[in-house]
Amino acid sequence: MKDLEVRLAALDPDAGAAVRVIGYFDRLAEAGGGLEAIVRGAAVLTGCPARLTDEERRLSLRVEPDGAHGAPGAPPDRSWLNADVGPAGGGTGGAVLWLERPGPAGPVEAMVLERAAAAVRVVLVRTRGRAPVRAGDDAAAVEVLIDAGAPPEARRHAAHVLGLTGAAQVRAVALARGTGIEPVIWAEPGAGARPKADREPVPNPQDSPRSGIGKAVSLDCVPQSWDTARTALRFTAEGTGDDPGPRSVRYDELGGLALLAGSVGPATPLIPDELALEHAAAAAPWMLATLNAVAASASLRGAAAALLVHHSTLQERIEHAERLLGWTIRKPDGRQRLHLALALRRLRRHPPSP
Amino acid sequence: MTTTSAQAKAAVPAVPPPFDPELAAALAVLAEHLPPAFTLDMIPALRQQSAAVPPVPDEALSRGGAFEVAERQVPGPAGAPQISLTICRPAGVAAPTAAVYYIHGGGMIMGNNRLGLPELLDYVQELGAAVISVEYRLAPETPHPGPVEDCYAGLVWTADHADEVGLDPERIVVAGGSAGGGLAAAVALLARDRGGPPLLAQLLMCPMLDDRNDTPSAQQMAGLGVWDRTSNETGWTALLGAARGGPDVSPYAAPARATDLSGLPPAFIDVGSAETFRDEAVTYASRIWQAGGVAELHVWPGGFHGFAALAPQAAVSREANNAQRSWLRRVLAG
Repeated sequence: MKDLEVRLAALDPDAGAAVRVIGYFDRLAEAGGGLEAIVRGAAVLTGCPARLTDEERRLSLRVEPDGAHGAPGAPPDRSWLNADVGPAGGGTGGAVLWLERPGPAGPVEAMVLERAAAAVRVVLVRTRGRAPVRAGDDAAAVEVLIDAGAPPEARRHAAHVLGLTGAAQVRAVALARGTGIEPVIWAEPGAGARPKADREPVPNPQDSPRSGIGKAVSLDCVPQSWDTARTALRFTAEGTGDDPGPRSVRYDELGGLALLAGSVGPATPLIPDELALEHAAAAAPWMLATLNAVAASASLRGAAAALLVHHSTLQERIEHAERLLGWTIRKPDGRQRLHLALALRRLRRHPPSP
Repeated sequence: MTTTSAQAKAAVPAVPPPFDPELAAALAVLAEHLPPAFTLDMIPALRQQSAAVPPVPDEALSRGGAFEVAERQVPGPAGAPQISLTICRPAGVAAPTAAVYYIHGGGMIMGNNRLGLPELLDYVQELGAAVISVEYRLAPETPHPGPVEDCYAGLVWTADHADEVGLDPERIVVAGGSAGGGLAAAVALLARDRGGPPLLAQLLMCPMLDDRNDTPSAQQMAGLGVWDRTSNETGWTALLGAARGGPDVSPYAAPARATDLSGLPPAFIDVGSAETFRDEAVTYASRIWQAGGVAELHVWPGGFHGFAALAPQAAVSREANNAQRSWLRRVLAG
């Protein structure tokens, strides 16, 4: 009601302040509030001018406690209260949220800085397509979400940390890191996703780790998505001459091949087609890449283009390969047989993770 | 098969427009100070609360000495008690000044004439005008026509005593928010119909105009935001009793009931898109235009009721308050 003596104002550091701060920034994120709205929230709730600076993005926002936004003026004073939004993403500096007041931070200021910085991170991920994710707590939250044994309360909290609400659809993604596998959560566009969890990045750049992309699930079913992501990862390849193939595989696109993953492990005896493939691979350095291109391309012309060889060269290579393999790979049946042999080879190279 | 109006109403999509993100966040914090809805059984507690809150002191109204503050007891409506006017006049200005005759909000059932006044004085200070704020009796203790007649009596006294107070009687703007906006609109109708004080303009901030409480916006926003359909029913029932929503409601109680909106002073009307009063405010402005009148209408996207006062820092609130200020400046400069 107008004229009731109720007005949004700087919060007193009483017992309920933390809840109100969390409520404010959660609701702001949920409603899709932008960077200025977040900085304004920080200024209003603390009664102190607030700034967001990001040298990398040439971003500088300053808002007064009455909500007015103004020119930043002098650069921020290093003694002011501040919170890193995220680490430098390979550039000159990360985004920093400031309150124009020297420390130490009171409970309201500390809470506002933490929540506002988290909200800024969500917006930067959403709008700038890049994720200055703080490794520590986010990684922990992801681990909880993919853990089938985690209690519901912990899962809800983890989803919250990642900026995901009940309605969100997510995919677990398995990234090959050295000898280990790193889990990541991608939020599907749409309801409930104001994610600090990454949106799907540009697919498959060569310098990114091999990735298996799980099926889309609700927040309750992330462990199942994680299982499918690890299965998909087994079908990936390094993309090298020794291990040609896709660096990123979506479980959704595996179809019936996914069933194969369950029946092939390190102890499964090699079938004759696999032995033939290894025999062929040992004969020439171009062999595996050529076979992979033939299996993966829509036409031999396409395969030649992918390999950067002349069509006649490819014809010669194929005839050579067919002699070593013992079956033709220019007809659909034979190409399917080659495709399966290559898939089995990848499954053996990437055994199931524990 | 015939379509009854009830069926037509049931077809209104219940999906409410979203709140502005900043306002949604503010509401998350404000909500703990506001009940989900006001009901008649809360009136005794509201009276106790308001008795416990000290009134805004004169010092807060003087805006650092910019205004001289006086309290005047003046005659009320015939046969009714005196009413109190809080008069804030620019300090040290000898010439008669323009005046904003202010009617506070509170759903007809709450509030007093000093709440919200400091903020209004901040606007008015730069315009060199005075503010007179009327303490009208509240429903349900005083049903219609008590509250609006108190407001009108105060206006008549102000115009009649303009010389004494130092006001220009030709430059009085009637203003109010929420229930005060509805009362301001009603006072403008009364002044027109009774040949009362000529008003320069009417400032109707998210006004409460229609006791029928059945517009699509009232239905969409039921249970949401500030002053929802239940609260609105409470306010109107307190004012009108069983007559609320019926065929015999006076336009001086509910200005939306007026059949003739011609001959009124220029109106400023604003409202949020996400509040009960959206549609009645828009309709009132449209009907003023249709009657050949002057109105400036602002519908602020994602605004809940009273957003500009409750969350004045939000970007949309700042724009809304600037629009009020800008209109008042143009009106008073004219």
